[in-house]
Amino acid sequence: MKNKIELGTSSENTWCPGCPNHMILAATKQTVTKLIESKKYKQTDFAITTDIGCHAKIFDYLNLSGIYCLHGRALPTGIGIKLGNPMLKVLTFVGDGAMYSEGMAHFIHAFKHNADLTLVLHDNQSFSLTTGQPTPTSQQGYKSKASPLGTFDRPFNPIKLALASNATFIARTSARNIPHMVETFTKAIRHKGFSFVEIIQDCLIFNPDANEKDDLMYKIPDNRNKENAEKYAEEFDYNSKSGKIPIGVIYQSRERSLEEKWPQLKMKMNKKTNIPKKKSLFKLN
Amino acid sequence: MKLNIIIGGKAGQGINKVSEIIGNVLNKYGYFTFNYRDYASLIRGGHNFNTLCISDSLIESHDAKVDILVALDDLSIKTHKAALKKNGTTILGEQFKDLGRNINVALAGTIIKILGIPLVELEKEIKSQFKDYSKALEAAKQGYDSQETQQKLTKLKASPTTLSGSQAIAKGAVNSGLDLYIAYPMTPATNTMHELAANQIENNLMVFQAENEISAASMAIGASFAGARVMTGTSGGGFDLMGETLSLQGIAEIPLTVSLVSRPGPGTGVPTYTAQSDLDIALRSGHGEAPRVVVAPGNPIEAIDKTSEALFLAEKFKTLSIILSDKHLTESEFSSIQKPMKTIKFKITRTLPGKDLVKSSSYETDKFGNSTESYTLTEQNTNARIKKYNDIKKFVNKKFEMIKIHGDSKSKNLIIGWGSTSGAIKDAIKDLDAKFLQVLYCKPLSPKIKKEMKKAENIILVECNVTGQLGRLIREKTGIKIENRLLKYNGRPFHADELNSLIKSII
Repeated sequence: MKNKIELGTSSENTWCPGCPNHMILAATKQTVTKLIESKKYKQTDFAITTDIGCHAKIFDYLNLSGIYCLHGRALPTGIGIKLGNPMLKVLTFVGDGAMYSEGMAHFIHAFKHNADLTLVLHDNQSFSLTTGQPTPTSQQGYKSKASPLGTFDRPFNPIKLALASNATFIARTSARNIPHMVETFTKAIRHKGFSFVEIIQDCLIFNPDANEKDDLMYKIPDNRNKENAEKYAEEFDYNSKSGKIPIGVIYQSRERSLEEKWPQLKMKMNKKTNIPKKKSLFKLN
Repeated sequence: MKLNIIIGGKAGQGINKVSEIIGNVLNKYGYFTFNYRDYASLIRGGHNFNTLCISDSLIESHDAKVDILVALDDLSIKTHKAALKKNGTTILGEQFKDLGRNINVALAGTIIKILGIPLVELEKEIKSQFKDYSKALEAAKQGYDSQETQQKLTKLKASPTTLSGSQAIAKGAVNSGLDLYIAYPMTPATNTMHELAANQIENNLMVFQAENEISAASMAIGASFAGARVMTGTSGGGFDLMGETLSLQGIAEIPLTVSLVSRPGPGTGVPTYTAQSDLDIALRSGHGEAPRVVVAPGNPIEAIDKTSEALFLAEKFKTLSIILSDKHLTESEFSSIQKPMKTIKFKITRTLPGKDLVKSSSYETDKFGNSTESYTLTEQNTNARIKKYNDIKKFVNKKFEMIKIHGDSKSKNLIIGWGSTSGAIKDAIKDLDAKFLQVLYCKPLSPKIKKEMKKAENIILVECNVTGQLGRLIREKTGIKIENRLLKYNGRPFHADELNSLIKSII
């Protein structure tokens, strides 16, 4: 008899009815359950960190170890967990507001460190838990209580930023597509190194103009070519609904992860892994 | 016997080498040394100087008035000639300019000769420091022969060893089995980072540089959650950035130890100088009300002990421990024959991810570790945090040295001070009718302080800040206002001779 895996908690779910966060939670549970069932991982091997915002309530609804962090700090805290115990499988949940405003420095540096953890970014183009102020990915003209004149700034493109920061795994998925999320999360978790998954998500309450992009989305095959990745990144500008939105693995490459670079962490891992030789012009370490 | 030597020059001219060589020779010859390092925030040029104080008994400070001035440039003479005693000696680096980088060895030679120490003692030191030492030996002899002997120092039995405060904090951390030091560079905290980084593999630990102090503190919390023994370190500005994480620690109850090495603020202030002006933020930074421990060692031996205690208390009580020091303690070099106490060994026994399901949160939580907004739980959790602080207080009171009494324990003249100022106070009161109460734990504060104050007729507060921060803390806890205050806040530490006359004028 195998034990039933219980990933839920007794906490009352306080997301808005119909919020795609419910689907992200379902996809996360399915992904983790499958990984546990595959016998490669135990439930206790996972640790999550979450930010502050609507997305972060997932902390209370998942029966997994972790830290409910401060706003903007879920990513460095997650990397810290890897430094403390590199054997743990870390999933870091953040929102667009938290990661790209308060936590931007952490975002860029995370690609540099390439710690073996998965960043799940819920992008609903709005600071929703604080009642709808614009985030760095909100579209121009977005009006809120904090921006009654409309948002003047153009949103930036996090996928392009990730590529420029030497990301080793970038994927995009849709909060309305549970099977696609499960598939994408699984690939991201299996990736050796830092994996960044952007979830395109609607906020039903605050930014309806940005919602309903499902028709623009199309699936791409797993991509390992940088030029193609740059093309995929250009297709959606977060600002208009004129372009297409590619979903799937936008870019993947293999480089030494944080745990493979540091001898101290390698020792803690204490198992033989196939570590690729460093590709570098400079013969350091 | 006590002698003070200033060695001054431009950054990059190697004044530290001169004081290091002389210091090592003297320590091996049985003498105590204290080396104060005064340097500007630049890499080459400017004016830097060390004051090396030498004595046949323990000293932990330097004097304003000096016996010997070693000047590598003209600016050093101009800057320090007023500090030179009548009949003091000036030695010019100029005369050895043909020796290239061996000028430092020659200057060390001059001092060794003036002190009346045989040349062979210096030669031994040179041979242990340099691989190719033939030129250096010649330079040493040239320096030695250029001077007349003024003192006749005889070899003593003591064998003091020299440590800086940064080395000591690193040592205390290593003794306690530190796994990780995560930091962002900031003077004067960086020396601890360098110290730990240099021997990280041998000491089975890892030194990680984060993108900023916010990240350093967040990573430290994450790593500690995962079961590592972690420390982070910074100075005032970086500590401000860590403030939110210190607050998070209070509610998430993940052990965290922070080394706060002060320098004069506000703002960037005077970055390579010293001050004790961050006691307030050590005690109170971070929103909300949560327990914490603040230790304030006064010399490297205490820094070893208190760093270990800080790490131990953080783990035992899942609390925040702050090791408060400053530039003067961490960058000055103290010689001592004292040994640190036996390190308190501890195991990490809390539940850890990987083995159990563990939840920690920045929110108020229920028994499962999930968020709650319940008023009963909010109150209960708050009470639990206050109870924890009371437990810490009781424990520390019973187990650890929270204050020290120096000088004449029967004296009615009570000096109160803390941290790096302790050295100058101890040396200043050697010939005075005075007792010095050194505060080692700023949080919790020892109940003995009030008792000592009640016994005294004359109380003097000595601190390196403008508002008398320890004095205010003591007033808060005891209701006693200290009227006599000797406060120095020009970025420079107290000199023992300066403090001696200041105290004399009051008692």
